[in-house]
Amino acid sequence: MSELKYIDLKQCILEDNDNVANEIRSLSKEKKFFVWNIMSSPGAGKTTFILSVIKRLMDRFRIGVIEGDIESTVDAQKMQALGIPTVQLRTGGDCHLDAAMIKKAMENLPLDKLDIVIIENIGNLVCPAEFDLGADLPSMLLSVPEGDDKALKYPLMFTVCKALIITKIDCLSMFDFDFEALQINVKKLNADLKLFPVSAKNGAGMEQFCKFLEEIVNEKIQLLI
Amino acid sequence: MHELPITKSIFKTVIAKAESVEAQHISLVALQIGVLRDYIPEIMQKYWDYIAKGSIAEGAKIEIEEIPVTVQCNDCQTIYDVDMSNIEKTRCPNCGCQQGNVVTGREMRIVGIEID
Ligand SMILES: Nc1nc2c(ncn2[C@@H]2O[C@H](COP(=O)(O)OP(=O)(O)OP(=O)(O)O)[C@@H](O)[C@H]2O)c(=O)[nH]1
Ligand SMILES: [Mg+2]
Ligand SMILES: [Zn+2]
Repeated sequence: MSELKYIDLKQCILEDNDNVANEIRSLSKEKKFFVWNIMSSPGAGKTTFILSVIKRLMDRFRIGVIEGDIESTVDAQKMQALGIPTVQLRTGGDCHLDAAMIKKAMENLPLDKLDIVIIENIGNLVCPAEFDLGADLPSMLLSVPEGDDKALKYPLMFTVCKALIITKIDCLSMFDFDFEALQINVKKLNADLKLFPVSAKNGAGMEQFCKFLEEIVNEKIQLLI
Repeated sequence: MHELPITKSIFKTVIAKAESVEAQHISLVALQIGVLRDYIPEIMQKYWDYIAKGSIAEGAKIEIEEIPVTVQCNDCQTIYDVDMSNIEKTRCPNCGCQQGNVVTGREMRIVGIEID
């Protein structure tokens, strides 16, 4: 019988991913672009919201998109129709994007000519929260039909985000979505989280969100000049 | 379901470590996991048994220490425990403020392994 031996590791399980995420941070500093990661459940409205933001900001910023999608290319085609450089990642069943996939995708974007790289993550509220992508603005999109209690059911997601966008507020009258309760509860774990009620359909709240995004993007790229 | 990629990643790290010290067998993997990660220990063990089959880590026990959620009050800096099933009633026990930031509960660490 050989003896038992204990080896200390004290290692973060996602260390590999976190290292690559830090490489993305350095790359985005060096090349002066801003990274915005958007996470939500399937169908919450990511593509519609991103398109609406792009249309409002594309005369001021040069924007590129990374589309995470399990199988299809529909969302990427909508971006390309606007003349936006787009990379489609097909994960073939994976439930999240990791930093290595993003770094690889970035090699196919004209980074020297971009101010903002938008990442549409895979529709899932659990796994994407676990993988740091090196984004300047990790954000969660929650749609009114999903209910105000959804954020609390996926607490890791909103504790890793800097913005929580409540979309489809044009549907508020049909649902009993309690915005105040949501705001109070999420701030118990993430006091700095910024909340934005919007409708990508009728444009409500879009101005405020775009103004916020414009300010933080400028702050980053101008600091780096 | 979301335990799978993580379990794979733990497996990779642990095997590399064990091989580097020429271990014959891994009998235990000790982890620290924050409650916010929402992992179910039994599921991790099941995935482990599946992934580790035929390797030097076959049959290893996955031992998980759950790290509770604590928050630091935004006003008075008191650190207090949060019961996630009762988040609606949570507020700072010292000043009653309802805003804070997570201090613990997101951990995901391999503490060590037992080899023979
Ligand atoms: N009423 C209303 N409908 C919206 C809004 N935003 C998106 N939708 C609708 O919601 C549906 C899903 O929108 P998408 O933008 O495709 O959602 P997604 O999150 O990109 O979906 P996946 O990429 O498939 O996960 C579409 O039918 C949109 O027209 C909104 O603000 N209001
Ligand atoms: Mg989409
Ligand atoms: Zn307090």
